[in-house]
Amino acid sequence: MRNHSLKANLTGYAFISPFIIGFLAFTLIPMFISLYLSFTSYNLFSPPRWVGLDNFEKMFTGDPKYWNSVKVTLYYVFIGVPLRLTFALFVAMILNTGSKMIGTYRTIYYLPSIIGGSVAVSIMWRNIFSEQGIVNGLLMALGAAPVQWFGDPGAALSMLITLSVWQFGSSMLIFLAGLKNISPEMYEAASVDGAHPVRKFFSITLPLLSPIILFNLIMQTISAFMTFVPAYIISKGEGGPMDGTMLYSLYLFRQAFMFNNMGYASAMAWVMLIFIGVLTLILFKTSKMWVFYESEGGR
Amino acid sequence: MAEPKVPVSEYGSMAGTRLQKGAVWRKVKWPVYHILVGALALLMLYPIIWMFFSSFKESRTIFTTATTLLPADWVWSNYVSGWKGIGGYSFGHYMWNSLVIVVLSTLGVVISSALIAFGFARLNFAGRNFWFGVMMVTLMLPHDVVLVPQYIIFTKLGWLNTINPIVIPQFFGAPFFIFLMVQFIRTIPKELDEAATIDGCGKFRLFIQIIMPLIKASLATAAIFSFYWRWEDLLGPVLYLNSPDKYTVSMGLKMFLDSESASNWGGMFAMSMVSLLPVILVFFLFQKHIVEGISSSGIKG
Amino acid sequence: MKMRKTVALATMVAILLLITACGNSGGGNASGGAQDGKTLRIAWWGSDARHEYTQKVIDLYKKQNPGVNIDIEYASFDDYWKKLAPQAAANQLPDIMQMDISYISQYAKNGQLEDLKPYIGSKIKLEDVSENVVSTGLIGGTQYGIPTGVNVLGFQYNPELLKKAGINEIPADWTWDDYKKMAMQAKEKGIYFDESMTADIFFNYFLRTKGHTLYNAEGTALGYEDDALFSEFFGTLSQMIKEGAAPSQETLSQNKGILEESTVVKGTGIGTWQWSNQFVALQKVADRPMALAPMLGPDMEKGIYMQPSMYWSIASSSQSKDEAAKFIDFWVNNEEANKLIKGERGVPISSKIKESVTPDLTEAEKQVFDFVSEMEPKASPMSPPPPVGSAEVIATLADYVEQINFGQTTPEEAAPKFRADANAILSNNQP
Repeated sequence: MRNHSLKANLTGYAFISPFIIGFLAFTLIPMFISLYLSFTSYNLFSPPRWVGLDNFEKMFTGDPKYWNSVKVTLYYVFIGVPLRLTFALFVAMILNTGSKMIGTYRTIYYLPSIIGGSVAVSIMWRNIFSEQGIVNGLLMALGAAPVQWFGDPGAALSMLITLSVWQFGSSMLIFLAGLKNISPEMYEAASVDGAHPVRKFFSITLPLLSPIILFNLIMQTISAFMTFVPAYIISKGEGGPMDGTMLYSLYLFRQAFMFNNMGYASAMAWVMLIFIGVLTLILFKTSKMWVFYESEGGR
Repeated sequence: MAEPKVPVSEYGSMAGTRLQKGAVWRKVKWPVYHILVGALALLMLYPIIWMFFSSFKESRTIFTTATTLLPADWVWSNYVSGWKGIGGYSFGHYMWNSLVIVVLSTLGVVISSALIAFGFARLNFAGRNFWFGVMMVTLMLPHDVVLVPQYIIFTKLGWLNTINPIVIPQFFGAPFFIFLMVQFIRTIPKELDEAATIDGCGKFRLFIQIIMPLIKASLATAAIFSFYWRWEDLLGPVLYLNSPDKYTVSMGLKMFLDSESASNWGGMFAMSMVSLLPVILVFFLFQKHIVEGISSSGIKG
Repeated sequence: MKMRKTVALATMVAILLLITACGNSGGGNASGGAQDGKTLRIAWWGSDARHEYTQKVIDLYKKQNPGVNIDIEYASFDDYWKKLAPQAAANQLPDIMQMDISYISQYAKNGQLEDLKPYIGSKIKLEDVSENVVSTGLIGGTQYGIPTGVNVLGFQYNPELLKKAGINEIPADWTWDDYKKMAMQAKEKGIYFDESMTADIFFNYFLRTKGHTLYNAEGTALGYEDDALFSEFFGTLSQMIKEGAAPSQETLSQNKGILEESTVVKGTGIGTWQWSNQFVALQKVADRPMALAPMLGPDMEKGIYMQPSMYWSIASSSQSKDEAAKFIDFWVNNEEANKLIKGERGVPISSKIKESVTPDLTEAEKQVFDFVSEMEPKASPMSPPPPVGSAEVIATLADYVEQINFGQTTPEEAAPKFRADANAILSNNQP
């Protein structure tokens, strides 16, 4: 007997057809167009002109601003994401207690993530770190010199990273749910064996949580690579100072919509796509070495 | 002070384990815990609290008194001037525009995602795994890669200055929500479908009558997230909406920020607060759903 | 069985209907320009105050021309161009557009703008406008825009603080040497003299005083070849910063675009270099008496020019060009309208209107009008509008200047690099 009857196929495809249509219309076809455009020079005004590999050549050899944006983005991702996840895990462990207040704390800690992507919060962040903002006020109260957060490329980027760490909430919730799934007996058994809390953390918590860490790591890394709104609002669309907050997405956006270099922007997008693809693949492949999967059917 | 139902998990209070046996520690453990966790929570919220109080300061004094939390004189005028909006459109107008977009998008994305998720989770058809794989890949696809072509396509379709480019793609499901719902549906015992099928229930009725009620929680989660993302969306309106008549809340706020001349800081802060209000309100009303939804998305992912 | 499929199908149809329905609700009367000839679309960029009075002007026009409907579109400067470019590509430009000097070439060269010559005299009356001003709207000999008003560069300062710095007044014919001396004098008293200068605008001014321009007449390359000019100008500016006569680049970056945080407003700096139409807003925020001084010499007369603050242009794809031209005429010549505008888009180009609105001006607005009138006879003709690609050139220049001021490179090092980059951008943008 065949597995799939015609009727089953039809019903199945009927249900997922919105996805297929949407995928073709809003993802696959645009991706091909984007691939084509990446080999052209296109400014919206006149038709695309085929330029071969010029865009890629310029990107890799003739555009220091591009490399700067790569550098800034890598800093942002590889400092920001681990910090965010560590913080999220830390808070999740603190909150993984039986206290009745946990619901409230959880809510409070998660709130920044909910509003984090909004213009309002970026505006707020801009002002907190302004010359006379509270952060500098605090520094001065502690006797330190105020920092020109928008005046120094490194400081500006660390301000952006702080904003991203502040929004650790969704990773925290996922960790929290993961922690709840670890049965208390495991810890009890370990306690009987006289295991130290640190030991328990490394030999029980981390391994059991590793699939969730992987999931968080991948999702957070991808979304970090695509960060746009905070950099856009905080630097008023300019990526300054000295391109210190010129994240990849912002530079791409500026090339596409400020200078109308649609071809170049498309090429940039494809390089990013390939880079993220490879990175995700590496994470998945190496995950076999550090991710511990429980035997199936445990729920 | 809340009484714990179960003892504090040991790995949750690493610092305290050595003292755990001391009677004193047992007494002060919870107050100390709450003070520390509460202080951290306050720190987390401080920026928002600061913005809230600043919105009651006079525009001029926001910068000069940034380090004092409470305004010297409480003024409402920021809310009045901010609500007036920019260039003849009140902030309420922007809120309404955002609301229209949010409601249409959310409706579209929740219904379509649920249909699709059901297809993936429960139906057997040729190529299902392939399409599921495709969907998982699109979940991770950087949006930047389709940004330019979508923009060109929507332009050619004459969709500029309409909400179509923002709303219509939502009617074809969003991978994140589909994934979320698939995870949910998979937790429903298959025996339930089988029983229903034996009763002569077709797939669509199965979906509507059996599955839908059972995944209400994830539908709610998706709806809430869709609400947030559309409400806060800036890129869509920046690229596609031209006339202020159609501007959304994000655009309204951005207009406060883009100033060639003197800007109304107080008004901007006040409207920032107003724009966050629905978000925070929905959050507190539905926080259980949100937490569950987010939590389960990572499990067994 | 059949029923199930029907239900599934019905749902699909329902969803599709919903899609199209919402499409209509969103689309409907949207873009598409003015088909009936009586609905105009007008677009501009600017701030809240501008949006507000422009709307009033439009309401006034509608009142005087019943039956004409005007749809408005506005945004911030950056967003404006983001929105306009795709509309140009789709042939859906608004009928009337505010055009900036650095973008008008691109739109003109791509055939997006209407030649306004045929309308001048018949639909748009420019008898009271000097030929020098009208001609600023010429690109390659074709009238692609009508200036909304004129601006002139100057130093806008706080006279009281100047006195405190031990300087009695700024002479009308001051030079770069005077400037350096005064700046050092102010610095001794712990007062900033200025806030450095916007790179592209003032470099162009400086080049003009030396007989060059930022771009060559054809717009194919930069208008100078001697890198010493670059080093001299930006060397002076970075020296000012290094000496402490102007705030550090850190502070400048920090407070960029926030009027409230500028040294002039905070009372720590004497003045700032900018266009005359920005004076009113500055004075208002500073909330103290302010004054205007001319640009630095020698050869100030060669450097300054009456710059159109912006233009009104008509889209070549417009279906209602006559009606659009009528609105521009209204803008230029209607007294009541100009009493609302009050020189916010530059001093009115019509001498008659200028006279008639003068009694209604505030003190600060009057100062601007007087300053512009004083400079007008001294000004030289404007250089041709910046060519296609200038937005990118300006951004590149700003980057280099930032690097110089941060001490990461020297003016001598940056000069040839900037020239190479800029020329590459400009030649890339040649069709």
